Amino acid sequence: MGLAAASGSESVMKTRPKIALFQCQWCLYSESDQDWVDHQLPPSIHLIKTSCTGRINPLYILNAIQGGVDGIVISGCLPEKCHYKEGNLSAVRQHEAFLGLLDYIGYERERVRFLWLDLQDRGRIQRELADFEVFLEELQPTNTLATRVSETIGGLNG
Amino acid sequence: MAELVSELRTQIERLLADQSIDVFIAFKKADSPLRPQPAFFRSGDALTDLEYNSLCQNNLGNYLTRYPNETRIGMVVRGCESRTVNALLVEKQHIRENLTLIGVPCHGIVDIKKIIEHYGEEITGYSENQTDITIILQGKEHTLPREELLHDSCLRCLHPNPVNADILIGDPLPEGDPSLVRKKVDSFEALSRDDRYNWFKQEAERCIRCYACREACPMCYCTECFVDFNQPRWTESSISPAGTHAWHIIRAFHQAGRCTSCGACERACPVDIKMTYLTDKLNEDILEIYNFETGMNDETQPPFAAFNMDDKKRFVA
Repeated sequence: MGLAAASGSESVMKTRPKIALFQCQWCLYSESDQDWVDHQLPPSIHLIKTSCTGRINPLYILNAIQGGVDGIVISGCLPEKCHYKEGNLSAVRQHEAFLGLLDYIGYERERVRFLWLDLQDRGRIQRELADFEVFLEELQPTNTLATRVSETIGGLNG
Repeated sequence: MAELVSELRTQIERLLADQSIDVFIAFKKADSPLRPQPAFFRSGDALTDLEYNSLCQNNLGNYLTRYPNETRIGMVVRGCESRTVNALLVEKQHIRENLTLIGVPCHGIVDIKKIIEHYGEEITGYSENQTDITIILQGKEHTLPREELLHDSCLRCLHPNPVNADILIGDPLPEGDPSLVRKKVDSFEALSRDDRYNWFKQEAERCIRCYACREACPMCYCTECFVDFNQPRWTESSISPAGTHAWHIIRAFHQAGRCTSCGACERACPVDIKMTYLTDKLNEDILEIYNFETGMNDETQPPFAAFNMDDKKRFVA
């Protein structure tokens, strides 16, 4: 199922996995990709745009999980390409350890994916999101750590 | 052990008399012999109250951050406390020149909950040697083996000797066995995913959010903790599952590469949550990936602050 084909219809929307996309605002080098992320994301993908992957506190990831997303994508720049020189280096150390901890207490770490984008990766984010969606559909839905799903304030639902 | 206290007293008296320190942080006698309290000695006269034995539960590193850098502090440190002091020095919470550390190789902290469980609170006397402890209950003496009463995190202690003491009282002890820590983490990891989550859920949801673990932890020195923010509110502040889960996960994660496994958090917990399985896992990971152990010296930055371009291989595109 392609991403572009499925947007809009209510019945399709409900069955699609919810994804939180944490995007570093500098990581999409192509204007058309950024435009697609900004304006044409399907409703099942929630965009959280940050100034750098280093700005993403692991607490944000946990909040997204507690809010009931099925998967998380963190997209950022490769080393030496960081707009702030070393934000992504700090991010990768923290998030790896954090995912290790989440896995330890029973959350499937495959539900969080990193996407390190390079200059020539035009259009890759759409393919990767579609891939991830298929991957999440195959995984069993989980309630692990999704403790705030029924709430409308603060969660990512609604 | 009485010699230890008298030697400690002599040393503190000397330090206070020649004015090389402003304050000495140690323990003093309290109403119950089971509960010595942290004490701050500014003159030699108060030292009659000095107490030091295996019942001293607190990690004194906790009080280091409450003084300005200019204050010349003396402190009695065990193995874990000395590593805590190093970790705080790395984070520029004090100046090494303004610290005088009296080191005591530690035979392990006795868990008073284990004594109270069997003998109640009405204990009127306490003494100890290296292998046994003796309590006096209703005029009768009971001798108990120390091994059985040690706190869980002391049973798997790796470094009982202070690493940075200026003055060492007593003989150094043999190092601990690293496989004991590994065994605990491994046995939890061997459980199924559901079992691990259920265990975490059950333990976390017993939490009453008193934050005693935070107050007891020397590394939790932020003036405003993430759970205390209400603008924005990062997590729920109530004892809802979402709030307690987030508190347990993020509190442990903030200790990654900073925790010295002293176990002060567990000793402080009023509802007996054994939360060190989280920090122990992070410590094991950090040791495995970065070969870093917290507080072994006062220079090496913790891994989250020491990233560099060598991390390139971690970026799997």
